[in-house]
Amino acid sequence: MIYEILHKLLLEYLFLPFNHLLNTVTELYVHYRNTIVSWLLQYRLIGWILTRFRSLFISVIKVGYVPQHISFIMDGNRRYAKSFDLPVKKGHEAGGLNLLSLVYSCKQMGVKCVSAYAFSIENFNRSPEEVNTLTTLFAEKLDDFAARAVDYTDPLYGTRLKIVGDFSYLSSDMVERIRRVEALTQNGDDFILYICYPYTSRNDIYHSIFNTVDKKINNINTKQSTDNSTIHIKDFSNSMYFDSFSDKCDLLVRTSGHNRLSDYMLWQTHESSTIEFTDSLWPDFSFFSLYWMIIRWSFF
Amino acid sequence: MSKIVDKVLDQHHREEERKVYSSREGPPESNVMKRKKKYDSKLEVVKAITDIMLSGDVVGDSEHAKEETSKQRLLSSYFAFLFYKVVLLNMYLMFGLFRYFQYQYNKMKLRILSLIYNPTSTPQLIRQDVLKLNKIPKRIAAILEMKSVGDIGGGLEGLLNDASEVICWTVSAGIKHLMLYDFDGVLKDNVDNLILEINEHMKLYYGPANVPNYSVHIPHLNKTYYSSEEIKNDEDAKKSIVISVSLLSNRDGRETIVDLTRTMSELCASKEMKLSDITMKLIDTELTHLVGHEPDLLLYFGPSLDLQGFPPWHIRLTEFYWETDNDQVSYLVFIRGLQKYSNCKINVGK
Repeated sequence: MIYEILHKLLLEYLFLPFNHLLNTVTELYVHYRNTIVSWLLQYRLIGWILTRFRSLFISVIKVGYVPQHISFIMDGNRRYAKSFDLPVKKGHEAGGLNLLSLVYSCKQMGVKCVSAYAFSIENFNRSPEEVNTLTTLFAEKLDDFAARAVDYTDPLYGTRLKIVGDFSYLSSDMVERIRRVEALTQNGDDFILYICYPYTSRNDIYHSIFNTVDKKINNINTKQSTDNSTIHIKDFSNSMYFDSFSDKCDLLVRTSGHNRLSDYMLWQTHESSTIEFTDSLWPDFSFFSLYWMIIRWSFF
Repeated sequence: MSKIVDKVLDQHHREEERKVYSSREGPPESNVMKRKKKYDSKLEVVKAITDIMLSGDVVGDSEHAKEETSKQRLLSSYFAFLFYKVVLLNMYLMFGLFRYFQYQYNKMKLRILSLIYNPTSTPQLIRQDVLKLNKIPKRIAAILEMKSVGDIGGGLEGLLNDASEVICWTVSAGIKHLMLYDFDGVLKDNVDNLILEINEHMKLYYGPANVPNYSVHIPHLNKTYYSSEEIKNDEDAKKSIVISVSLLSNRDGRETIVDLTRTMSELCASKEMKLSDITMKLIDTELTHLVGHEPDLLLYFGPSLDLQGFPPWHIRLTEFYWETDNDQVSYLVFIRGLQKYSNCKINVGK
């Protein structure tokens, strides 16, 4: 009886009004934020100040610790587009732009490797039109990016781009395109960007198992090495898609409010990495939110 | 293909007793937050913050500073470096203050919530809470950890107590499968004690006369224990089992996957298996045999999410739940996790 009363009292009279108020305020904020921001951004001065601030913040974090490997699950592009009544394609475009700007910031900060979940194998279950749009968009961005990574006036110069995933799902045309871009950027060695396209982590583990067994059998058949060498976890990790970054991802960011990994980076994050979940949609996930996470990461 | 499973299990049986790991490197935040026992008073919190700042300074001076100065020997760049360093320290200080207030706020919230959700060993109340939800997970997992012996609820006793509490809540909520994970495998090593402890708790919850039947399974050794001896040989009684608990440890994570690889490569080498037989589906079934099914919900009772090497294959779509700054195995995490799960929708790929 007391339990019931207490329950009712606390939930209905203490929490609910407060929550309601909070919800209204956040709704108002979300509703008007974009108007306010775009109104401010039309003045060149404010844009300039923002970029100055950005670079100041970047120089500040540079003198401390930064994570080696940051990873993003870019979720929420479609909801973002819907909230503005735009076609889905625009949402994905906005997401792509946001990724580029964050990658640029990460590079400046001294992060060694960024990886992003662009397309899951499960995403082939989506409507064919959307898969098509995503594929063409991806191809366009790929060439775009390659051009920027080899242009020494561009801030992204010196980036090595690697596309990882199960290419057996892609057309041969696409694979050739990917190989060409990778070859173009292979000289950049101070920063690596992994784009996971079509990727799932289970598939990654499976491939690693398959390749390890394959290699082992080949060794036995050709009698190159004695069979006594056993398979170790470290070698196993290194045979995964992310090469030397396969072992650990320092900071994983998942946007749009789901607290799960959705088949991404299972092997990399299950031991000692920080996983951050945030409610904002991917195109809304700004530099400053990322900065806050990195401060938090390096503080501890 | 149960040949593979048999072979791996055979290997597991033969291997020597493993030593308990004493230290493990977790994610930075949870590493610090778990040590907070030392920083109980406010003064010590401030001290801890300054400590962290100072240590950050030392690190910066030794590694980054040298790099930076050797690259650009200009005096002005050195001053710029100093300036950035000071700004960074100030940022950390502000963050520390903010984190301190956030910590207090979270603690307060948890205290109030634990007043609201206080089942006091009554299955009916738990049942009532659960009946309000529109869906419940089929399988849940929980990560437990042994606190140091000096703490309240620490040591082996504390861990066994926590484990049996979680088991009782799960039974009361009507969930049939539970995975308990602890990094060192302490629970596995003390199964007999665990069963005694569970019996005690079940008596407390359901009365001494109607202790429900349950089973405890250790996938790594492929052993199953039952609540009482009679069930072992009685097929009908096995159907009345209300919960099957499986105990996991770090051993079931990466190492089991590598074991599987090793076994398969041996089988392939001796031509008992073809390379093309290795498919995603095969590996999934083998790992399900070796470790268990994927849980729908994973509960963590620590201050910030730390998966501690939970089997990687098995967290594909698992929903995580933890309460920030909570450090007790308490019912409120359990029920709020279920509530969160009931509100989330899973759409694979769409």
